[in-house]
Amino acid sequence: MSNHSYWGVEFFSFFKIFFHQMFLLLTGKASLGSLTSDEIQILMLAMLGISCAIVGSFLILKRMAMVANSLSHTVLVGIVVALVVMRALLGDSYSAFHVDMKVLFIASLLSSLLTAYLTDFLYRVLRLQKDASTGLVFTTLFAVGIILVTLFTKNAHIGAEVIMGNIDMLHSDDLKMGFYLLVMNLSLLLLFFKEYLITSFDPQFGKLSRFSNRFFTYLLLFQTSATVIGAFRAVGVVLVLALLVLPVLTARLLTHRLYKMIILASAVSLLSALVGVALARHILSVYNIALSTGGVVVMTQFGFWGIALIFSPSKGALTRLLTRRRLKAKLATC
Amino acid sequence: MMSDIIPFSEFFTNPIFSIATIACMLMCFASSLIGVITFVSRRSLIGETLAHATYPGVALALTIGGLFAKNFEAVFPLAILVGAFVGGFIGLKAMLYLEEKLSINSDTALCFVLSVSLGLGVLLASRLQFSNPVWYQKLQMLLYGQAATMLFYHVILYAVLSLLVVFAIVFLFPGMKISYFDPDFASRMGVSQKWIGYTTKILFVLAVVIGLRSTGVVLLSGMLIAPAVAARQFSKTLKEMFVWSAIFGTVSGFLGNYLSVQAGVLLRESYPSLKAGLPTGPLILIVAAFIAFISLLLSRERGFIPRLYRIYKFQRKCLLENILKELYKKEGSLSLKKVRKLYHLSRLKAYLLVWMLERQGIWQKKGRSLELTEKGYKKAERVVRLHRLWEVYLFDYLGIDAANVHQSAEEMEHILTPELEKELTRLLRNPKRDPHNQIIPGEGVTV
Repeated sequence: MSNHSYWGVEFFSFFKIFFHQMFLLLTGKASLGSLTSDEIQILMLAMLGISCAIVGSFLILKRMAMVANSLSHTVLVGIVVALVVMRALLGDSYSAFHVDMKVLFIASLLSSLLTAYLTDFLYRVLRLQKDASTGLVFTTLFAVGIILVTLFTKNAHIGAEVIMGNIDMLHSDDLKMGFYLLVMNLSLLLLFFKEYLITSFDPQFGKLSRFSNRFFTYLLLFQTSATVIGAFRAVGVVLVLALLVLPVLTARLLTHRLYKMIILASAVSLLSALVGVALARHILSVYNIALSTGGVVVMTQFGFWGIALIFSPSKGALTRLLTRRRLKAKLATC
Repeated sequence: MMSDIIPFSEFFTNPIFSIATIACMLMCFASSLIGVITFVSRRSLIGETLAHATYPGVALALTIGGLFAKNFEAVFPLAILVGAFVGGFIGLKAMLYLEEKLSINSDTALCFVLSVSLGLGVLLASRLQFSNPVWYQKLQMLLYGQAATMLFYHVILYAVLSLLVVFAIVFLFPGMKISYFDPDFASRMGVSQKWIGYTTKILFVLAVVIGLRSTGVVLLSGMLIAPAVAARQFSKTLKEMFVWSAIFGTVSGFLGNYLSVQAGVLLRESYPSLKAGLPTGPLILIVAAFIAFISLLLSRERGFIPRLYRIYKFQRKCLLENILKELYKKEGSLSLKKVRKLYHLSRLKAYLLVWMLERQGIWQKKGRSLELTEKGYKKAERVVRLHRLWEVYLFDYLGIDAANVHQSAEEMEHILTPELEKELTRLLRNPKRDPHNQIIPGEGVTV
């Protein structure tokens, strides 16, 4: 797709073209098939980003960010096993790392249950301390995953793509998966907002109100692994962690209300998808340097976090500076 | 096929295998030592984050090196080491900053640093991919590690670094021991927290740098954790734990290499299309994790199965003693049906119990009831004696009401040892009656 409309375009004209195209798409003058790779990337990253913002908010509130890290490794086992199952059912036509909805579902269910159950088993039954149980389980499962991949693809080299994804390889079919994921996460959020709120902030109260804390923890884990696998082709299993954590932490610097935090985090994700892809395109057009779009998006999010850190009303550097000034002035007048 | 089994000694003599094997063993040795520190300071996941933080460090070192150095190939390995070290150190600092200054909880801080550094790393790597594809390949190698391609200088390098780690640990050991378990006490003892903290940090980063080449970024944290987990099961002191961990780590380093080569040979036989053997890094980790798992299950003091066995044994002892007591009260004979009903025993359980104790000569089955033998009677007498002695003790010495002493005695009768029995008898001057005015059986001791 070297002749598409974004070739050689600079930062600001990028947005002009993009919004024009989106307008055409929404009014039905352009079809999904006619999307260029940049548009696909933005749409995918935006949808994934919102999914991640929703899931990430609760993960961070429940202090389970490193559990997401575990899952991001163990989904490999899930994917391999799901592929083996699919191959057994449908014959050899299944290629390696072809992820469709069925594989996604089986793999995320499998990996979230396996990880959560094994970690819990080590912690509760074998009485290993929690951090060590988490670390031991996901590294071992990941090692098993690598070996399985080696055996099934008959090739010892598994590409860096598992870790970093390859966003340039996305095509419009992948958008469907991103969309389904977004719908799932959004509807679960709307359905269980109250339950999630209570089980994250006050599990004791949750217990008294007859919510099953365990059920919602497992549901969150399932959502996490589904989102991680959905992001697998776009940004890889490790970069997705950044999408889970960074926007939420940015939003957290700016507000303390949960629903505002989720909305803000989604907005940050959306914005960074736009800016990130445009920036990557700009750098390619102007300096002729091809950078990984996933990396640029993550660093954009990091940049937003840095800006929020300066302007945060509670912890920001600016607030602190102003308070100190005001105090000084007050002292001077005394 | 016998000819396909490679003897262990080959791995130390044959240069094709020995370099990778020895280098891996050294690496595992060093990282398992440091793993003990991360384990006891409950920061096991730090390895994961630091390993990812080295990635942008190395990428940056290669990018900068490519821009300025003319003959960069010569200093290439050094650039990797320095880059990894600097990257890891900055990652560690950033993490502590987030935790302490911004009061982000440690779990989130770990994930934050991990993902940002990987993002940065990916960015730099993609730049490198176009400017220098060969170095890019080498950088990507660090993600999964590649034990098989190591050279002789790696062995020397790892030997030196491992020695450094050992020296640091031996030198700092006394201060370290106190400061990990009780930082407040340590600072009052005049142990410099700052010094220990700094060395510990450097050790953490060093462990990651050492591990990079053989197991790779992703699996490295496992190699910090698994040997320490296994070692914890067998040791009571920190020193023992270091020794055990080093042993487990080194052994898994060897076995991982061995299995990788051996399995590769066997696999190629059945699948000629397989291009390479099984990767070494994952196998090392799987061996280490297997050792950890087995130790968690089987270690004598803390293992799961021995613990279950102890619980089972004690429960059985209680059950048996309760039945004996009941038999004693019923003049040595009780119907089997009654016993089953009293202690909620299934038919099978009751059958097994009766059969086993008949063999030991505790009781005999006569028709539908149990009858105590001479030996069984003695045993029953002792249980009743302990029960009633304890009641007397509670009543006389602790002034507990006679109506309330029974419950405590029900539990203590199973726990009191012969020595305690003797002591009690002496203390209570060999009483003949308990607070309920029942006879205390047995001879006791002469006062």
